[in-house]
Amino acid sequence: MTSPTPIINIEHISKIYEMGDEKVYALRDVSLTISKGEYVALMGPSGSGKSTLMNMLGCLDTPTSGRYEFNGANVNELDDDELAEIRNREIGFVFQTFNLLPRATALSNVELPLVYSGMKADARHRRAAETLASVGLAERTGHKPNELSGGQRQRVAIARALVTQPSIILADEPTGNLDSKTGQEIMALFDELYRQGNTVILVTHEEDIARHARRIVRLRDGLIESDKSNGASA
Amino acid sequence: MIRSGEIIESFRIAIESVRVNLMRSILTTAGVVVGVVLVVLMGWTIKGLDAVWEQTISIIGKDMIYVDKWNWTGGGNWRLMEARKDITLAQVEQYIDRAEAPELCMPTVRSWGANVVVGNQSLRCSAMGVTYEYGMTPAGEIADGRFFNQIEDEQAADVVVIGHNIAKTLFPGGNALGKTLKIQQRPLRIVGVVEKRGFLFMDFIDNQVFVPLLTFRTLYGFQGRSFSIAIKAGNEAMLSVVRDEAVGLMREIRNVPPSRDDDFSINEMKAFDAQAANIRLYIWIVGIGLTVLSFIVGSIGIMNIMFVSVTERTKEIGVRKAIGAKRRSIAVQFLVESTLLCLTGALVAFPISQILVGSTQWLAVHVFDFEAASVVSPFIPLDLLGIAAAVAVVVGLAAGLVPALKAAMLNPVEALRFE
Repeated sequence: MTSPTPIINIEHISKIYEMGDEKVYALRDVSLTISKGEYVALMGPSGSGKSTLMNMLGCLDTPTSGRYEFNGANVNELDDDELAEIRNREIGFVFQTFNLLPRATALSNVELPLVYSGMKADARHRRAAETLASVGLAERTGHKPNELSGGQRQRVAIARALVTQPSIILADEPTGNLDSKTGQEIMALFDELYRQGNTVILVTHEEDIARHARRIVRLRDGLIESDKSNGASA
Repeated sequence: MIRSGEIIESFRIAIESVRVNLMRSILTTAGVVVGVVLVVLMGWTIKGLDAVWEQTISIIGKDMIYVDKWNWTGGGNWRLMEARKDITLAQVEQYIDRAEAPELCMPTVRSWGANVVVGNQSLRCSAMGVTYEYGMTPAGEIADGRFFNQIEDEQAADVVVIGHNIAKTLFPGGNALGKTLKIQQRPLRIVGVVEKRGFLFMDFIDNQVFVPLLTFRTLYGFQGRSFSIAIKAGNEAMLSVVRDEAVGLMREIRNVPPSRDDDFSINEMKAFDAQAANIRLYIWIVGIGLTVLSFIVGSIGIMNIMFVSVTERTKEIGVRKAIGAKRRSIAVQFLVESTLLCLTGALVAFPISQILVGSTQWLAVHVFDFEAASVVSPFIPLDLLGIAAAVAVVVGLAAGLVPALKAAMLNPVEALRFE
């Protein structure tokens, strides 16, 4: 199933937080490769290091030691602004709490990454409107988040993640704030994105959600406990 | 490079943020409002003084030079000037004979402590002995009646021309012409009233009476008095020629050896500019002090509210960073917001300043009877608005800098975790 081109290649990375005199290992010598077109779930209980790993994969944070290559670029060597550029172009984030700008319309929210990438206003509007339509919100472009249901908000957030046509979509507990029916609809959307060839990484502690992925990576105490393909996937 | 899209986005966010917290924004900018009002008031006051001053010296005559024993503007050593020999009428006449450059020149003599009596009312003023030609200078321009003529001048007639304030005080009804007043017990017929000449700083000019030179001699005598020469250059371009000629001739007439300084002073209306400049400087110093103070207070307020804003929007900053905002973009966003806050303050300040300026001018003219203020515009000049707005922008940028940097340097992981 997996395509041979690796997008994410991490080798022996560790993340250490210093709490006073104590060193806390959030990740211990973790190595992982994710290729283009994969549908991966990162699982683990809280404190397992999955959030740290997700921040690392999303270029929000850098490892204390080890090597991280993203699309062939060495992330360790990048400064804050170069990381911001990678996040802008290559990574689409979907958060548990949606994290939309409350006073901006759905369209403006989806446009925002394109503002930071410097796209012209006309092209931006068009692209954002198309992307909103692709997640089924063509009629909701002028609505503000508080005028939308939870599921619609998460669709706006997904459209915002997709609008730059990133290399990976990184979703952190994307159904955590939704009822189960709406959650299933959102997961159906991720499945659809995967079928269209997108690389999707889910971070979750729910088995039901993880089951949608084709590969499940389980973490515990900062280590990868298991890394298996998921036969029962959608 | 900052992209135009980001700037527009920043303005959109900033306007939204100021609008949502409108009351808080206006209160926050109180210091800036006071600062802007002060800048505008100070600028307007200085411009007003300049206008009044310009009016004053143009009324009295920009092309007038006075050769006198004394330096009128208070420059030079007082004791040295006191030791100078008086300028005699003979010396003045020699100068008048020989001078070629001026359009007009004439002797004048003065008694500072004259007592003018009308009925049982008396008024202290200064009496000037002048020739009929004085009526051809701007200082002798007549509002009512006429200046005395050459015949009255030569015959030492008992006539007098009085200043604006004298007429106003002694003849409040305005019927001074043809009346008689007494100086040194001698009745003199009023033939003319001089136009109001005194403006700011020059009020004494309206508290003068003019009599023919020879009449002055019979009233006060010439003994022990130093004459001065009133010289009308004709135009401003001729001033330096006339001045140089006057210096040369007077040195010759008064036998000043080449090694010695002039033993007389050349007084020009322009010399008073230095005094006007001093007053302007004091206003600047006081005004700048107050302005800087209020802007410091104002920028502390802005900085404080910007820190609050950064904290309130930590999560938003995290989201923006996650989707690709660079540090620069975040910093610009908050700088635009603090600048917009200050501009809001300036916008609030402009109508306040206009009301203050307009009512000050109106009160000065209509209630305090300060006529000089009538040449001052009751409106704020546009360039002052521009300067005040520019200052507000600078204050906004300065006050927003530290909060903006704080926002820009936030760690995205921690910012996203913030609730």
